[in-house]
Order: sequence, then structure tokens, then C-alpha cells
Amino acid sequence: MQYKIDTRPLPIVILARWWRFPVFMLLGYGLYYCFGQKPPEGLSLEGYRALIVFLTCLVLWVTRLLPLAVTGLFAMVAPPLLGVLPAKEAFAFFGSEPVFFIMGVFILATALLKSGLSARLALHLLKSGSKSPKRLVLHIMLTSALLSFVMSEHAVAAMMFPLVVIISRRLNLTPQGGSYGRILFLAMAWGCVIGGIATMLGGARVALAVGLLHDAGGGTITFAEWTRAMLPIVLVLFGFCYFLLTRFFSIDIQTVAEADTAIEEQIRDLGRPLMEEKFLGLLMIGAIASWVFFGLQLGMASISILAVVLLFMFRVVEWKDLQEKMEWGVILMYGGAIAISSILNSTGAGIWFTKRFVLPHLDSPWMLMLALSFLSILLAEAMSPSAVVAIVVPIGMSVAKQFGLDPKVVVYAVASASGLAYALPMSTPPVALAYSSGYLRMKEVLLPASLMALVSWLTLLMTAKFWWPLLGIHVGR
Amino acid sequence: MTNIALLKLQLLYSGILAGQNLPSPLTNPFGLVHLVLPEGLTVSVHRNENGTDSPFTLRKDGTQFLLDIAGGESVPVQWTPPLQSYQQKTSSGVLVADILTVHGDFIAVHPTHACRFGQSGLSCRYCGSSRDVSQHPPFTPRDLVEAIQIVEQEKQCDVVSLSSGRVDTADGGVERLEKWVTEIRKHLNVLIALDLVPPETNDWIDKTYAMGVDALYYDSDFFNPDDEPRKDFEKHKARQLEALAYASRIFPTGAVLSHLVIGLEPLAETRASIDLLIDRGVVPVLAYFPPYDGSSLRSRWTATPEEARAIYAHLYERLVRTRINPHWVQQYDVVLTALEGRFFSNESPRYHLKLKNFYETSFGRALRFSLARLRRHLRVVPA
Repeated sequence: MQYKIDTRPLPIVILARWWRFPVFMLLGYGLYYCFGQKPPEGLSLEGYRALIVFLTCLVLWVTRLLPLAVTGLFAMVAPPLLGVLPAKEAFAFFGSEPVFFIMGVFILATALLKSGLSARLALHLLKSGSKSPKRLVLHIMLTSALLSFVMSEHAVAAMMFPLVVIISRRLNLTPQGGSYGRILFLAMAWGCVIGGIATMLGGARVALAVGLLHDAGGGTITFAEWTRAMLPIVLVLFGFCYFLLTRFFSIDIQTVAEADTAIEEQIRDLGRPLMEEKFLGLLMIGAIASWVFFGLQLGMASISILAVVLLFMFRVVEWKDLQEKMEWGVILMYGGAIAISSILNSTGAGIWFTKRFVLPHLDSPWMLMLALSFLSILLAEAMSPSAVVAIVVPIGMSVAKQFGLDPKVVVYAVASASGLAYALPMSTPPVALAYSSGYLRMKEVLLPASLMALVSWLTLLMTAKFWWPLLGIHVGR
Repeated sequence: MTNIALLKLQLLYSGILAGQNLPSPLTNPFGLVHLVLPEGLTVSVHRNENGTDSPFTLRKDGTQFLLDIAGGESVPVQWTPPLQSYQQKTSSGVLVADILTVHGDFIAVHPTHACRFGQSGLSCRYCGSSRDVSQHPPFTPRDLVEAIQIVEQEKQCDVVSLSSGRVDTADGGVERLEKWVTEIRKHLNVLIALDLVPPETNDWIDKTYAMGVDALYYDSDFFNPDDEPRKDFEKHKARQLEALAYASRIFPTGAVLSHLVIGLEPLAETRASIDLLIDRGVVPVLAYFPPYDGSSLRSRWTATPEEARAIYAHLYERLVRTRINPHWVQQYDVVLTALEGRFFSNESPRYHLKLKNFYETSFGRALRFSLARLRRHLRVVPA
């Protein structure tokens, strides 16, 4: 294990390492103080306490004082401890369908990575891209985006990252050198981000938002409905991203023929496809088809768990692979987020909060749409997309109810916007990985990333205005 | 009135003669007599067997031990009996005396290799490599922990010092000692010091601190070069000084030490070397004892105790002015420590003595240990 010794003055080290403790103490005192107060007018005692728990979770999710998953657990245990509802009911939220859907999707993504099928797909998609520098950029973007249609974007980025590193080295690109290396890593990261909103598989935030919608009694959104709603956004952003990368940064390389050799070598190393890979490919096609055509009848979670059962029946993965590679913590976070959101809804705290603090500032459904999508894009730069969904969707749905607006609109707006973070390393794993390459400097990325964010917001609004009504989703009716 | 620190130096220089009514055995297994001089100065002094060279004679008068100085006064001293623990064995059958040497509250261990004195066949009473390590029965880290636990039942010890011996590897001997440090850390609440050669790169210093070492004794051989100095001497010296300076930024203040042997070079050069080390945040440990008769260094030995006192005064005053903590070498009974240099100086030692007394209380000791652990917990970050 490698170590680093922090040689800053000890008071600064203490502050940097232990700043959480005074903040926890303050938070604890704040909670204690609030519990000693009477509920505001129009809010029940249970609603008041649920709101306090929600605001505490909000602080914890935003500041990351605790890991997201631990805050999720807190959100589940706090309501029964404070007498908001019985423990049995609070823990039952963990059994929501979206939680199991997310679990199934993560297991399938782990199997794709472990079997090598995703790497094989990526290499074959990249193979024909080494004819010209621009074409290589396009193929890296396309490969990242297409794979993010069927796997979570962080898994795609983790898989694509070493490939892009190999290509960069073969092309003798250095972090200090020209800008082509920067373009390649941004193509990978932003390709993942854009592809990640296309389906419900690109990031678990969509499933979480749909779960919140379902538990609030707002119905559900199917796999096909989501993809249809997002398709124009993905196409426009993909085109704009390619345009921006190839115009904003100069392409300072003449040929990328060496990349072709590197990709060929990687493909040769993989050898012939294994039986497990072929089976997994068929299984994924079957699962996606089932989500599209039978998602509503059979249930999204049932299909994903059935696919997982088949994986184990044919021994494509072992349980220990999942224990090592799965992000189990995310599942805990979702359980907690769904619990607290449902409790806000059932105690009336959500409605009270929005009437008191949000509605006075919003005078139309379109204002709501503008505010939610803008807020989500902004927050996603500093928070995990799932945390953004967990915070913004419950409030957004409460406001939507006041306007008589279909809460699905809130889900579409927030779940897509919260995935569109381009600038900061703490936003999404693909962007963080791209920064870790050493090729990106924040001051050079900020302007194009801000342009991407602006165009994303405008595209989302335009899609909501002109495309969604054709699918029966109305913002302003 | 005899200057106690000067007396200690003279004892280290001359040894003692055995007088009347002394108990038996008088010395520890390594031939050293443990005495506590007035003002609490501890000294391990060799017994001069031929009976002619030393002006000091130890005798017992009733219950009182007295050190007679030829042609002068008698100084009352305390005699510390040799530890019974040395004769005990670990569960695997290794004699404690074959594993470690106790100097005051300081345990010296050579787990694998002897120091350069040991390697040359000489016995080093300074660092604990008192016999040829290669002749010792092999022992394991578990044996070492047991041996320390046996000693601690008889006597409280604060610091365990492990020496890598003389090595010529890039790590300076750290890797060789890692498993020993890990085992001690796992089972015992003591401070750990390592006696090493400065490594070739600074990441070894980071690793040394991170693995649980509290203090470093660097054997900077450029101060006391062998008869045939190496060809890249200047480059070697620059690197060793760089390593010392870096280590003093990583370890607590005063916890990086380097040996200087008084008498092998003109005292003005020793004085300059003290300044060179202190300017880099390193505490010099001045070893004062004449080389053995068989040593090639014997002919270069020049300094008398009276000549050395100015050097000790300079060391103490420089440390006080630079606010470097001198307590990492306290109660070292085979050298005159930096703090003991106060007996040759006019600078007020009040603060350092109070701190020393505080560290000797059980609360002070616990606090010192806890602070050392806390500092490591705060400073070490996995890369």
C-alpha cells in the first residue's frame, strides 16, 4: 500500500480531517432544537418530524458528511425512531420494485464487464474509427453512448477508460502536449453522459425517480416510454457534442493509424467469444426486448431479476464476482430515498413545504419545468445524480400536484437533467475518470462544459415543448 | 562539587574498578554496570578488569553505593541490579538476553544483522549490538514481543529501538524491519524507533512513518567515514542530508536523530556537524566513548571529557534556541543526551526539565504515547 504524509500544519490537518465532527454536533443540536419546537401551523406533528428528517438527509446528501448509502439507511430508521410511522412500514419501502430493478440491472452490468462482452463490443465499435482523427473521436463518443444505453454509465466509463489510455499512448499523446488527448477523454466522458439518459439502464436515477413516482401514486413510466421521450435529446446533444469537441479544441494530429493497431491487438488478445459471452449477449437482447414490450405487464423488476436468475443458472457469473464489483451501497441509498419521499407524501409534509416555500415563487407549470430542470443540472455538477433525484423529485411532485400537472413530467425533467453533468470531477464517474487521466485541466473544460450544459437545458425544454406532447406528455395544459 | 554530566562522560571514558562488598553478579550479561548518578543521570559503564586504568572505584558501604574518585570525593550513586529477565526464555526457548538489550527505559534490538561494530567482530555497547548477531539463535517477531513483555513485567520501557544493521540497499533497511514493527505495534503500547541508513528515495521515509515508527536514528556515515571514503562522497553526503531534512518534516519535531562520534575528528568539525544537523531539524546524538583496542579508529581518538563539554553545551543551547524537542533521547545511559548537556550550559533548563518530569509520570507517558498515535492517524493518508 502506498502512503502520503500530510505535512501541513497540524491544526489545518485536524480541520481537514475532522471538520465533520463539529458539523455533526451542530446538526445534532439543530435536530434537538427543532424537535423541541411545535409544528408550524397547517402541519401535523408526524409531517413536521418527517420534514426534519428529509432536511437532515438533504444536508447529508449534499455535503456527503456520510456516505450516500448510510444516509439512505438513516432515512429508513429515523422515521420509526421518531414516531412518524411504525418500523414495519418504514422498512417495507426497501422492498419497492425499483430497488429490485436497480439491483438486477447492476448485476447484469457486472456480468457484462466480467465476461468481457462489453469490452469486445467496445473494441469492435471502435475498430472502424481509426481512419481519421475526427472519426476516431466520433467512434469513441458513439461507443461510449451506445454502451451506456444498456449499462450504467459509470461501468461503461470504467471499461472505456483503459482503452482510451492505450489509444492515447499509441498516438504518443501526452497530458502536457496538444489538445487531441483532451478531446478523446472528453469524448469518452460526455459520450457516456449523453448515452446514459437514453434508457432506464444508463443510470439508476431513472429507476429511482420512477419508484418515487409509483410510491406517490403517480403511476409508472415504461422502458419504451422513457426512451421515446429522451430520443431527441440524445440525438441533438450527441451531434452538438461532436461539433463542439471537434471545433472548440484544435485537432493537432494528422493520422490515427497507430490507434488501429492498438485496437487490433486488443481484439486479438480477447480471442474468440466464449460461450458465456454469446449467452449473455442473447440474454441482454431478450431482457431489453422484454422491458420494452412486456415491462408494464410483467414488471420491470421481475424481468431484471429473472435475467439474473438465468445468469446464475448458466454460471455466467459467480456470486463472489458480484460481491467484489457490485455497488451495493447505491441500492441502500435508493431504499432510503424512496422511504423518505413516501413519508413526506403520506404525512402531507411535502404539500405543506411546497405551498409555503416553493409555490409563491412559481406561477405556472412551465416555470416549474424551467426551475426543476435548471436546478437539477446545476446540482448534478456537485452531487451524485441519484442524490439530486432523491431531493428534487419529491418536492417537484408536490408542486406538480398543486398545478394539477402530471407528476411524470417532473420525473422526465429531473431524472434526465440530473444525468447531464459535464464540468466538474465530482459530478459523475465518467467525468471524474476523464480528469484522472491528467489530460484535462478544469479551466480548459469549464467553457465547453458550460456550453454543453446550456444546450442540454435548452434541448430539454424544446423537447418538452414540441416532442413530449406528441407522446401525450403535457407540461402546460 | 563534581559536575555530574562531566562525571558521566569520565565514566564512559574510563570505566570503573570494582571495590569492596559489591553484590554478584555486578554487571549485566554484556559486562555493563548500571548506575544512577545524582540528578537522575543514568549510565551504563564498563568494568575495567585490569584494575589500573580507571580513577573510579565502586564500592558498597552498608546499604549505600559509593563511587570513589581517585584523589578526591566519594559520590553516592544507585546501583541497578542486572535484569532477571535476561535469564528468562520465550515460549520457543530463546533467551531474552539473546534478543534484546535494555538501556534505561530503552530496549535495543538487532533482529537480523549486527551494526558495523558487530560486523567487524567488536561488541557495541552503544546500540545494543553487544554480541555478534550472526551467532545468536534465530528468533521470530513473536519471540521479540514475548521478550519485551517479559522485560516489562520487571521494568517499564518506553521505547523499543530496532536496528537494521549496516545495509547497502535503497530502502536503508526499512523493509527488513517491517514485520518486526508490525508485530510490536499489534501487541504492545510502546514507542518504536528504528536505527537505519538514510534511504535513496524519500518515499521510504513516508513508509517508515506510516508503518508505525515514532522516531528514527539515521546512521549518516559521512560524518564518521571509514578509512577509505567512497568515491561519490559529496553526492552521497548531499543525499543523506536531504533525507535527514525530509525525515524531520515527516516525523515529530526532535524525533529524527543522527549519531555523531566525538573524538574521531577535530572538535570544531563536530561542532559544525551539530549545526548542520540542527539546521535540518535533526537532533544529534553525541556518542562519547573511546574505540576498542582492536579498532582501526583507536589511533584517531583525541577528545578528553573536559574537551567534550563545550560541544555538549553547544548542542543543548542550539536545541533550546531552535525549539527542537530533545526528549526523544532521554535516559539514554550510554551517551550523554542533548538534554543532559544542560549541566555544561548557563541556559535555563526549567521548561525542558518540567516536560521531562511530566513525561515520566504515568499520565505524561500515556499522553505522549497517545499524541504520537494521534499524529500518525492524522498525517498518514493512503495515496
